[in-house]
Amino acid sequence: MFYRTAGQFKTSYQADHALFPVRQDFVLLIVILAFAWIVLPFTASEFTFNALLIPVLIYSLAAIGLNVLTGYAGQLSLGTGAFMGVGAYACYKLITIFPELNLVIAILLSGFFSAAVGAAFGLPSLRIKGFYLAIATLAAQFFLVWLFEKWAWLYNYSNTGAIQVPNITMFGHTVAGAQADALTRYYFVLAFVTVMTALAINLTRGRIGRIWKATRDMDIAAELVGINLLKSKLLAFAVSSYIVGVAGALFVFLWRGAAEPNLFDIPLSFRVLFIAIIGGLGSVIGNYLRALLIVALPVLLNIVPEALGVPISSATVEHLNVMIVGALIIFFLIVEPHGLARFWQVIREKLIIWPFPH
Amino acid sequence: MTKLMKSLLLAATLLAGAATVAPAFAQEVYLPNLSYRTGPFAATGTPLMNGQRDYMLMLNARDGGANGVKLGYDECETGYSTEKGVECYEKTKAKAIVTQPWSTGITLQVLPKTNVDKIPILAPGYGFSPMADGKTFAWAFNPPSSYWDGASMILNYISEGNLDNLKGKKVALLHLDHPYGKEPIPLLEQMAAKHGFTFLPIPVGLKEMQNQSAQWLQIRRERPDYVVMWGWGAMNAGAITEAVKTKYPMDQFYGIWWSGSDDDLLTVGEAGKGYRSISWSVPIPDAPVMADIQKHVIDAGQTLMTDPANDKNKVFYQRGIIISMILVEGVKAAQANFNAKEVTAEQLRWGLENLKIDDAKLAELGMSGMVVPFSTSCDNHTGHGGGWMLQWDGAKFVKVSDLLQPDRAAIEPLEKEKAKEYADANAPWAMNEGCQ
Repeated sequence: MFYRTAGQFKTSYQADHALFPVRQDFVLLIVILAFAWIVLPFTASEFTFNALLIPVLIYSLAAIGLNVLTGYAGQLSLGTGAFMGVGAYACYKLITIFPELNLVIAILLSGFFSAAVGAAFGLPSLRIKGFYLAIATLAAQFFLVWLFEKWAWLYNYSNTGAIQVPNITMFGHTVAGAQADALTRYYFVLAFVTVMTALAINLTRGRIGRIWKATRDMDIAAELVGINLLKSKLLAFAVSSYIVGVAGALFVFLWRGAAEPNLFDIPLSFRVLFIAIIGGLGSVIGNYLRALLIVALPVLLNIVPEALGVPISSATVEHLNVMIVGALIIFFLIVEPHGLARFWQVIREKLIIWPFPH
Repeated sequence: MTKLMKSLLLAATLLAGAATVAPAFAQEVYLPNLSYRTGPFAATGTPLMNGQRDYMLMLNARDGGANGVKLGYDECETGYSTEKGVECYEKTKAKAIVTQPWSTGITLQVLPKTNVDKIPILAPGYGFSPMADGKTFAWAFNPPSSYWDGASMILNYISEGNLDNLKGKKVALLHLDHPYGKEPIPLLEQMAAKHGFTFLPIPVGLKEMQNQSAQWLQIRRERPDYVVMWGWGAMNAGAITEAVKTKYPMDQFYGIWWSGSDDDLLTVGEAGKGYRSISWSVPIPDAPVMADIQKHVIDAGQTLMTDPANDKNKVFYQRGIIISMILVEGVKAAQANFNAKEVTAEQLRWGLENLKIDDAKLAELGMSGMVVPFSTSCDNHTGHGGGWMLQWDGAKFVKVSDLLQPDRAAIEPLEKEKAKEYADANAPWAMNEGCQ
């Protein structure tokens, strides 16, 4: 009823291959976008922006980046956190060396640095696969975090070893730093994430995406039909690291405001990996669903018992949070290995034929 | 009745019940604490949080708070994670009149924000040493001694008052590779260049805290005359066990105040005898305030300590009490000056800037000798009260020195320089222009 596709005729191949062949999907997207762009900014509090909306967007973007590599091209990576760090440190150096540089350009440029580093660490993927590749990316993780700690030039020789985001203005508005308004930062991040998501969706649907999927499903077969594995794998590493690097720059500049090297350590990599896996590998929408869950859960656990007047200490909440997240991961891996995206797909298919299941 | 109806009814009754349990106090000041009772640093965090909490509970029970205003002590768990800390700061800032970040990393993140949101940061004995410069850091307080004060006092103590005695000696700094552990480096480098001793920083990564064999191998090879430790959490116990294992002379091993927890040394007991730690607080078991806490909090079953009989006399628990005392005295000073009951963040800032913790005050609070006397002013947000050297006697820490003072003449120019650097990096930075 809600999802009736009857009557939507396609008269050209182009229409049939459109991003949203079903009109309701398109309407749904418009509703979500309108909600994110118009309704939320008017209703959300500063706390909601800082603790929920901005991190959800940034984590989603990082997970989309990882998904390009792991979900589409089939190359497992445990170095996401470090690649985010490369983006963040590159952006910091660009901003401090060229203070007049526009922040948008600085963030877009910093992605190239992490793309280069990502491609370099992707080289072993031509020889090794699966777990062995995961170990190689783990080496990247350890090496890069070590570099962030030891290479004092990266943090401008500050005695704390941390990088601090200065106040940056664009067109008369402070967009980053302590004086930036939460709403401005939200719009900034939202614009970035919307554009990058659109690019990622189109990239994975097109020729390049098909090449990646072929590489993922069976690389020998892909090579036999004429796909250049070197190009395909390195491109996946570069594109993935680019998106991850941009997410890292946003992470520090638009959300955290300061960062020390161990922020980019392995827990961050795992966090993004969990979002990508539980959200659904090889899907874009799943990243959002899962990021929402993983970021919102601790916040809700903190707020809900308090609002209900249940006396629960803050330390207990933290323990509960760890237990629930762990249980959820196991639950999803057993019940729905394809992640939240698959859930949405099932619901959508049910809705299309509802109320007549045959 | 269906199951759904039943559960709805249950939820409704629960909600109604929650609504009736309203706070009984009419007036309250909200004093949140970004605590960490979980994670790798919980062992050192928990006793401090217990001390802070119990002092507040005692005041609420004994005096009904501060001048009749309830002290709304509340904890927000961070697990020492900067990310959670910032989330807690955002969550509490609407009502809070103070922020207690409890980690140098979190302090660095919230420092620029508090200057915009106008909420005082209270970071007793931690945070960023240049915060002492109240003209630049109008909203940040780190009484009674900063890390640079601590480093200077340790040097003064080991050189027996004349830093030139250190000429040709080698001083190693075993530190956590984190903003906190790197704090004393600029000062120690400067001192080394000026007084002709060799300074050797030995970083311990967050992942290597429990296994420091590489660092102690280096210490064995380099044979430093003194090892100064800037450690936290699991790192302290790790370092002390390694020192015992490598037979490093304990009387050449010194720690900052956060490396002087009883629990870290109890694991080695007798073998740790001789280890010293600088401290601005000393546990005094028979202080009148401890009797009040025993009566109103411990005997009333309100404390979270698992073994109150032993834990209440440990250095960290009693230091937590001191930290809460500093905050409450700030609230009281603000109440008296503005003739207000529920003081605002702006008024508390004034209160923290006009603390006078002298011997008479400490006697009145029943805390004589528990903390170094100090007083703050608008351009001095630390107070620079100095400290004492505590020594582990195999079972507990005992005070082994008179009041030590830092070498302020050497530290002050560095504070001014770093504060200015900070303000420039964060331009436009609001300075406290009214302060002369």
